[in-house]
Amino acid sequence: MIAQIILSMLLTVILLYACTEYRRSRAIAVLTVLIATAGMYFIWIPEHSTQLAELVGIGRGVDLILYIWVCISLIVLLNLHLKLRTQMDLITALARKLAIADARSSEK
Amino acid sequence: MDLASRAQVLVVIPAYNEGAAISRIVADVKRAGYKVVVVDDGSSDATADHAGEAGAAVIAHPFNLGQGAALQTGIDYALAQSAEYIATFDADGQHRVSDIEHLVDALIRERADFALGSRFLGQAPNLPPLRRMMLQAATAFTRLTTGLQVTDTHNGLRAMTRRGAAAIKLQQNRMAHASEYLDQVARSGLRYVEQPVTIEYTAYSMAKGQNAGDAVFILFDLFARKLYR
Repeated sequence: MIAQIILSMLLTVILLYACTEYRRSRAIAVLTVLIATAGMYFIWIPEHSTQLAELVGIGRGVDLILYIWVCISLIVLLNLHLKLRTQMDLITALARKLAIADARSSEK
Repeated sequence: MDLASRAQVLVVIPAYNEGAAISRIVADVKRAGYKVVVVDDGSSDATADHAGEAGAAVIAHPFNLGQGAALQTGIDYALAQSAEYIATFDADGQHRVSDIEHLVDALIRERADFALGSRFLGQAPNLPPLRRMMLQAATAFTRLTTGLQVTDTHNGLRAMTRRGAAAIKLQQNRMAHASEYLDQVARSGLRYVEQPVTIEYTAYSMAKGQNAGDAVFILFDLFARKLYR
């Protein structure tokens, strides 16, 4: 029970994170919500995860949960990458403004 | 095209560590009667000084941002300078100055907003077979994703009208900007033409160019950009 509560709390944090990301990237937010919800479901009904795992040929339910975690981590990684790109866009816009302003002033 | 018309053309040359070649290229373009702006993309050599001495207006990025970013900076500058026609030209000596006139003439003659240089309609002496294959794969990809029936996609030699330039907002700072440019040409709905040009491969330009591995990064960049737009 303790493990289930801790894992549920972690997944709740992930869900909240997905909600805050919705405005920036809908695709990422929706994917995260889907995976975290599935994780939550299997934490509380582990026998279903075992059944599903057997169905898809994984073997144990716990392995399935582990794979879901790996997926979440990868999505977070991709999201960080996108965030860095957004920051780069802002830096580029700033650098461009400065560079063009300098070119004009040197012509005067 | 007379000299007065050529003064309405602003040639944008993005340059990164091109100190060895930039003076000659700027001088050649200036001699033909065009205005020139060199966007120095954070070079660590004297590219900006050489370009300025050769008579170009110089915009210097405070640090290296990539060729796509440099092109967009040049386009923004050209629009602010009220240029009627804007041409983009590489700094590594691959392009011929005489092709600028052909591109601008094509804009006027065909009433188009974009004239895209094509080495496959024109000539590309010394084009290595591997690079030819890479370029043809890129062309097939661009045809598929943009719907533009072009024959050459990664060609930095092109011209556009003021209206065309205003429709271009490059966000791919690095290598994927050539595909992005064509994507924006397609989205703008404005008229484009292809014009045969000559690209001359030299040992210097080959050392500066992209290699086969870059194609993977270009695809990733294009995909990542689609995820959050």
